[in-house]
Amino acid sequence: MAHRKKNRNVGIIGVGQTKHSSHREDVNQPEMIYEAVSLALQDANLTMNDVDCVVHGNMELFEMIHQPDMWHMLGTGAYGKDSIRITTGGTSGATISCAADNLVASGMYDIVMAIGFEKLQEGHTTAGITNMADPLWFRKIQAGALTGSSAYDVSREFGLERANRVSLTYRIIMDKHACLNPNAHRAFGLDFSQIDDLIKSSPKLVGDLKLIEMCSQSDGACAVIYASEKKAKELSRRPVWVRDHIAIHKEEIFTIFGYNRAFPVTKSHKFAAEQLFKRNDIKDPLNYFDVFEMYDPASWWAIDWLRDFFDLKGDEHLRLIEDKEVMIGGKLPINPSGGVIASNPIGATALVRVAEAALQVRGGAGDHQIPTPVNHALASGFGGTMWTVLTMLEKELNW
Amino acid sequence: MIDKQIKGYEDSYIIEGKMALPYSYFAGRVGSKFITTIRDKKKIMGVKCPACGMVYLPPRQVCDKDLTDIRDNWVEVGSSGTVTNFTVVRYDDKHLPRKAPFVLALIKLEGADTPFLHIVEECKIEDVKIGMKVEAVFAEKTTSTILDIDHFRPAVETLSVHERSKLRKQWVPSDEPETQEKRRGGKPDMSKPVIITAALTGAATMKNQNPSVPYTPAEFAEEAHKCWKAGAAMVHVHARMDNGFATHEIDRIRATHDAIKQKSPELIVNLSSAVGMGKTAEQRISQIVEIKPEMASLNTNTMNFSIIDRKTGKIFIDYVFENTFTMLQDFGKAMEENGVKPEIECYDMGGLDNTMLISKQGFFTDPMNFNFVWGVAGGQAFRAETFIAMMNALPPKANFTTCGVGTDEFPCIMQSCLLGGHMRVGLEDNIRMPNGELAKGSYELVEVAVGVAECLGRPIATCDEARAIMGLRKK
Repeated sequence: MAHRKKNRNVGIIGVGQTKHSSHREDVNQPEMIYEAVSLALQDANLTMNDVDCVVHGNMELFEMIHQPDMWHMLGTGAYGKDSIRITTGGTSGATISCAADNLVASGMYDIVMAIGFEKLQEGHTTAGITNMADPLWFRKIQAGALTGSSAYDVSREFGLERANRVSLTYRIIMDKHACLNPNAHRAFGLDFSQIDDLIKSSPKLVGDLKLIEMCSQSDGACAVIYASEKKAKELSRRPVWVRDHIAIHKEEIFTIFGYNRAFPVTKSHKFAAEQLFKRNDIKDPLNYFDVFEMYDPASWWAIDWLRDFFDLKGDEHLRLIEDKEVMIGGKLPINPSGGVIASNPIGATALVRVAEAALQVRGGAGDHQIPTPVNHALASGFGGTMWTVLTMLEKELNW
Repeated sequence: MIDKQIKGYEDSYIIEGKMALPYSYFAGRVGSKFITTIRDKKKIMGVKCPACGMVYLPPRQVCDKDLTDIRDNWVEVGSSGTVTNFTVVRYDDKHLPRKAPFVLALIKLEGADTPFLHIVEECKIEDVKIGMKVEAVFAEKTTSTILDIDHFRPAVETLSVHERSKLRKQWVPSDEPETQEKRRGGKPDMSKPVIITAALTGAATMKNQNPSVPYTPAEFAEEAHKCWKAGAAMVHVHARMDNGFATHEIDRIRATHDAIKQKSPELIVNLSSAVGMGKTAEQRISQIVEIKPEMASLNTNTMNFSIIDRKTGKIFIDYVFENTFTMLQDFGKAMEENGVKPEIECYDMGGLDNTMLISKQGFFTDPMNFNFVWGVAGGQAFRAETFIAMMNALPPKANFTTCGVGTDEFPCIMQSCLLGGHMRVGLEDNIRMPNGELAKGSYELVEVAVGVAECLGRPIATCDEARAIMGLRKK
């Protein structure tokens, strides 16, 4: 894959997030975005005058409004500035991060603000997702967004009992993390002693995918400010460097779920990770990264995808969870923020992964800051039916 | 107007709205043809990418892997396939095609490489499994949409003849209640499995007579496999060169033999020791000794073996097929010594008597296996009473099968099956089906033989049962 080194380095110098919640009736969409934007400006100690360009994105049709970038001018601060709207489904948040990174790296702008948002309570997610399907041969026979396929695959490979326990262990680790994050939407205070109860009592959605294991629908917004190396060093004492990102979109929609072993399609997560690590010469990603903010729509997908991202063999991915190595304090903490299972304002979700990873590198994550030094962080975005964006963040400019 | 308020947010309005938006979707030529072919022909068509070999279903204009334009490369795929994944829809919504609960499955149709989505019905939800076979049920009324396939239902699992045979109790030699006396009395044991042999080519049948005659080892392997799937336990082979000429070249015969065994390891391969016209005795037997097939033909009589116009009596090719007593003795011994069971070819009663004379030397092992051949120009034509006379002249413990040239094929196999014998069919003997149409391959004639056996209530022998009956050892 042809890929060139950046024209100039880019650092993240400001992060702002709303509290993620199921109901934000007290604010409309631009008002909610304004919360994130003002927090990011405050965090970077900038005003809107310092920002050269705004990149704005969310899911198409989820709120049933057209041209949200125009509506949202009231909250984004993009008035009179260059503004770009990007939507790539669930990966929107990660794609706007890529775009902001590229816009600064190219030299076109010195400071770019990326904004992702969603008010899922206002729209009809299933209607939006159904519109993704081809009207000729799928839309008439299309259902919603949930899938139990990972649950099926993991259970078939490792046995239902172990698979269920690993899934619930992961889920409870995420809840414990969410309880440390004041912005998290769902933080129940679950404990590992509840695993057996939850396996029995949590309603099943599809196959062995249970309600407790699935992400929420959330309202929320996130803003991240990107600056050129020169500006970042001038303006911030602790910029977080964006080393590289990769965005893979593949038409795997109906071949990834109906996985065909005769024509194996490298899953986009695995494919993206392999490409990214190869071109950055990272041989042992599991040891290289200090934290991973993963777009994990359900605990089953999280445990399955762990293997894809880090090219793990056998049951290593399950053992990492069983041994709680993915918990804060473990070998590779995943989602100290609580992750997507805790909060999922879809158009913001993938940008929140980058924002939270940046906070960890900077050491500014508050109660959910992992205690050991964070020099290298990875963030993932997931969308469409199997799209991947990966972003690598670094503490030092030394690669 | 306040439409709705949430507790704790009494100071905030929520505007409730609803949108129902009409839209058009231009399906394009590829998409349209896919739907109209389902609608008008009840056929499901995909497109194949010549560059990467993927067969896409539903079709698309361009292969997304290599951007090859594949719009005209239509291939028909099966209307049955395998569930590769599925979900149970458990909520009702206006846009859904059925009332919940119902199953949406990804189905990979036979011949397609990508699965596509459809409804699975006519079974319990809990019985739907990944890997299950399903078949399309086309809609009675067309809507010109994907719902012209109304749904998929579990496919009736069609087992091959041998798969079915393996489910019943297997025949073992101790099951043999048949005695020569019983057979003479016309009361054969109809529960004894019948061995079907497919004679794929002979030395003379050419592709211009029936294009399914195999020449190359790969073609032999393919034809033999089809025959095995149709129910044959054995194939009889005269190897050919690429130009169709019968050959005695050992390497070519070995390649043909091995190709068949590789594709259908169970199958018994019976090689010809006649090979073709004008071969020397040495050429005829050395290949058998070298390759050591499980079985080989052994001819019993020097005779005319000619090609005569059946209607006018005009001689096309006149040929004497030499099988002296010495050859009968030497070939028979060579086979028995090399573990190759002879199939003793009798073109008339004289050939049988010749064999009985030579068998006094004692080298033929029991059971002896005879083949009554009918309708060769130079041998006898099929007559029911002659058949019975030959059967009654067999030594005790002997098995018999039969084959007939041209239209003799069907009555002679039926008679053999009726009398407790076995059956040989195939393009060597006859290129046409009972209705006069060209057979699509020897396998179609095997299917006729299977039908005969089923009418008479005789089970079809598996390859291993055939070995047990004829006294072969698997190699």
